[in-house]
Amino acid sequence: MTLSRRSMVQLAGGAALAAPAIHTASAQATKTITFGGSVPLSGGAAETGLNVNNGYKTAVQFINEQGGVEIAGTRYKLDLKLFDDASDPSRAVNLIQRQLDDGVDFFLGSFGSNIVLPTAAVTERAEKPMVQAGGGSDQIFGQGYKYVFGMFPRATRQFLSTAAFIKTLAPAVKNYSVIFTNDAFSKTAAQGVMNAMKDQGIPMLESYSFPETITDASSVLASIRAKTPEALICMTHDQDNLLIAKQMIATGTNVNLLFQGLGPQLGSFRDTLGKAANGIYFQTYWDERAPLKDRFFGTPKDFAAYYRKNNTRPIAYHVSAGAACIVTYIEAMMAAKSIDPVKVRDALASIDVMTQYSRIKFTEQGDGDPVIMGPWVGQVVANAPEVVSPANAKTAPYTYPTPAWSQRS
Amino acid sequence: MLAAALRKRAWRVLAGVVFFAAAASLPFVTTPFYVRVGQLVLFSSALGLAWTLLGGFAGYWSFGHAAFIGLGAFAAGIFEVELMKGQPWLGFALGLLVGAGLSALAAAVVAWPILRLRGIYFAVAMLGISQVLAELNNNIDMFKGSMGLVLPRLSAFGLRPEALYFYLLLIATILITILAFAIQHSRIGAGLMAIREDEDTARMLGVPTERYKVTMFIASAALTGALGVIYAHSLGYITTSSVYRTEFSLNMIVYNLLGGIGTLIGPFLGSAIMVILTQVVLGRLLSIHMFVTGALLVLLVLVAPKGITGLVRALRQRWSAR
Amino acid sequence: MLALQTIADGLVLGGLYALSAVGFSLIFGVMGVVNLSHGALVMIGAYLAWFFWHALGLDPLVTIPVVMLCLGAFGYVYQRGLIQLAVDRSSHVASMLVTFGVALMLRNTLVLVFSPDLRSITPSYSGHPLLLGGIVIDPVRLAALGASLVLLGTLAVILSRSRMGRVIRATAQQELAARLCGVNAHHVYGLTFAVAAAFAGAAGAILGIVLPFSPPDEGLWTLNAFVVVTLGGVGSPQGALLGGLLLGVMATGTSQLIGPAFPNAMMFAVLVAMLLIRPSGLLGNAFAGSR
Repeated sequence: MTLSRRSMVQLAGGAALAAPAIHTASAQATKTITFGGSVPLSGGAAETGLNVNNGYKTAVQFINEQGGVEIAGTRYKLDLKLFDDASDPSRAVNLIQRQLDDGVDFFLGSFGSNIVLPTAAVTERAEKPMVQAGGGSDQIFGQGYKYVFGMFPRATRQFLSTAAFIKTLAPAVKNYSVIFTNDAFSKTAAQGVMNAMKDQGIPMLESYSFPETITDASSVLASIRAKTPEALICMTHDQDNLLIAKQMIATGTNVNLLFQGLGPQLGSFRDTLGKAANGIYFQTYWDERAPLKDRFFGTPKDFAAYYRKNNTRPIAYHVSAGAACIVTYIEAMMAAKSIDPVKVRDALASIDVMTQYSRIKFTEQGDGDPVIMGPWVGQVVANAPEVVSPANAKTAPYTYPTPAWSQRS
Repeated sequence: MLAAALRKRAWRVLAGVVFFAAAASLPFVTTPFYVRVGQLVLFSSALGLAWTLLGGFAGYWSFGHAAFIGLGAFAAGIFEVELMKGQPWLGFALGLLVGAGLSALAAAVVAWPILRLRGIYFAVAMLGISQVLAELNNNIDMFKGSMGLVLPRLSAFGLRPEALYFYLLLIATILITILAFAIQHSRIGAGLMAIREDEDTARMLGVPTERYKVTMFIASAALTGALGVIYAHSLGYITTSSVYRTEFSLNMIVYNLLGGIGTLIGPFLGSAIMVILTQVVLGRLLSIHMFVTGALLVLLVLVAPKGITGLVRALRQRWSAR
Repeated sequence: MLALQTIADGLVLGGLYALSAVGFSLIFGVMGVVNLSHGALVMIGAYLAWFFWHALGLDPLVTIPVVMLCLGAFGYVYQRGLIQLAVDRSSHVASMLVTFGVALMLRNTLVLVFSPDLRSITPSYSGHPLLLGGIVIDPVRLAALGASLVLLGTLAVILSRSRMGRVIRATAQQELAARLCGVNAHHVYGLTFAVAAAFAGAAGAILGIVLPFSPPDEGLWTLNAFVVVTLGGVGSPQGALLGGLLLGVMATGTSQLIGPAFPNAMMFAVLVAMLLIRPSGLLGNAFAGSR
């Protein structure tokens, strides 16, 4: 319900913006740094889009409340100019071009490689940086782009730490099966799972691919019951993951280890499954209790507290990653002592700072460093998300093998 | 027939020539954003024209022309990436042929059975075909739909990419317009209109309805396929969901309906209005642009059921009657 | 055993498909209008049921009548206020664009009111698998199938036995003749749309307990309805039931035999094939839409 009120404000704001405004506003006493870019707020990725958008807004609001930032002796306020790309690539490209024409120098990215790559081609040509928390598939970082940075490691590298963790389990995990969605991100992620598990010497039983929308997973689950793996790895969308979990429970399909990349991090997901959610493994990039320190926000706990004071929507790691995009930009500007986009890009390329999200360090291709910014292994314990590996971030001991659905408490 | 038509419409033809000449100067007088908007208007107009060859002239409304955009884009893309490494322009030129050719071939295969269906049944069958192709493209690894395809980058005369694709689309649109004009004022055009008004009577009077319909269906598919190739290059990277978009299919109808169905100026008016509205006027709205677009669609059908051209005609009639 | 399991899974899924398509079928059959906002009506039903469950703790199977009443009223107003206008002023095909526009508006409204987040309803009886001679069945899906059958049966009885049903069928077959007999055709169309929307809402409430859902799913349910109706035949609950069950079995069967990536492709291929072979569907009824 709060959303509708906000959109009214946006409508009013949009009308006011119809006149070219960005540069004239910066002529006042304090100067303004504007961040542009698109978020998907009406397509299938809208849920994550909303979370990242809330992260951006939280960072901008917080920094402005502190009186802005000082870069090379000048004080700046921050401003956000985001639009909905409706998951339509040509719309995204056009509206990014409009922001470039309007003089926006710094961009935040959208979701899905089919949106991120065409828009990145435009910003790259204009030599403006793009820091994004949405596109993780390998293609984005294989184009030789110098101005595109990602808050996550590329998809094929995201499972390395989890595979290493699975290898340590006792009794040893003897085999696994994988389910993935046929889209660029999930498919490369599944490829990453297969590579990482192969390196650990764990053989694959079967892989199942899903089309982009499904209403039923029963036949795959019937196959799984007929040929049960010890570990089941799901690289599918959160909606599919919830459906898979619900149907596994309802059909008594049990495996020793169920891993779902996306979903168990979300409160609504865990509430739907109730106590059956306990024991599901996932990966997470952020935890409130992590021992990190951010120049602006302080600890992750402080960040979460500030977020909760201003939002009713539950916090998720994408919120933190979104806020980190802005903070990383500011850190790079401070390091470069300039807001020249080319200099900021160079500073981003060599950045190594702490934020409430993670220590930030990019690879040469621009994605997150797989060790420093790689995910942690999480497990749902007592209906809350806990980190179970690595040891230095651990918040709870893990359970393995996970009990059957009907015996969970 | 064509010469007479040209003479009779000399003023309109002249206006068309002036319009395209003026359009060609756009990249020199405005910002890149408006060049991209122009690019999208041209692409949409050309799509609308290609659709109307069958939909507007013969009254066979396809709800699945996005199938040909996708087919053209991926056929050309795979061809260029696999076989034409290092020769972007030659690859693109042949790719256009491959894309258009494969779309034409696909249309030819389904044409005979599917064109027996009429009205809503034809529309739905086309929707079904585009869904089948999209699903196959996405789920069979060989077609690269899910992982996506990076297309070779084109450049010429030091033009910025948006200007380059603007001109490519401008040329395509001019060619399609000329073709559509020639068809409209030929024997086959007259036959198509007879089919639209009353197919059974037309056949009884000796119009080779089957042959005309099939020819137009194939032509429409080939042109749509070629446009898909240019569009894919302008994006640079495509996945199934960037080209097999049901929105494309529906928009082709919206442009025609809004501008005036069966006319050549209709798709231009319709796409100009829709693109400017959704991208320029509503572009900055974050969360209600979809609602506004939907509401406008509803209003348009209710206020101008025969499109802008129909509205103008009605107003003119009322004015002259006074 | 796997084959039996696949068929059982398909039938249970098919009940949901059938119910979700029957409203679409009725509107198409009686008025010849293709309602592209059908899926959006289904989603509204799902969100209403979710709201009652989330805010008041009421089971969706209990709140179905309320959901149906809400959507029925909405459907009547929608038809009389918008669709009839579009049909009168333009054409049936143009009215399709109106419904598309409304679908966009409804989807956007759902996002604004309920947020784009995933929603799901967990009734108290979920989570305990039923074993029937080696075949595992999800009790929630079974309940959904039961509810679908009851609702479809009710609709069949209403259409064939009640006065309203007779008037609806008469108007569908011969609008002019029905008018001459004193039938207010516009009112009848409004009523038909109300019934159709009510059943779409009921389908939404039931799918809410079976599947997680979010506003963009509306497109999926519109497309599914297309396939079910072409398969089974237009304008009757029996046709929708047959089409739905067949489609369900086809979906799970394809998933099992060809691969889990292909049920959607198979669905649409069957749609096209069916149109070519027998455009009136397996139980073809000669209603307005199919002429």
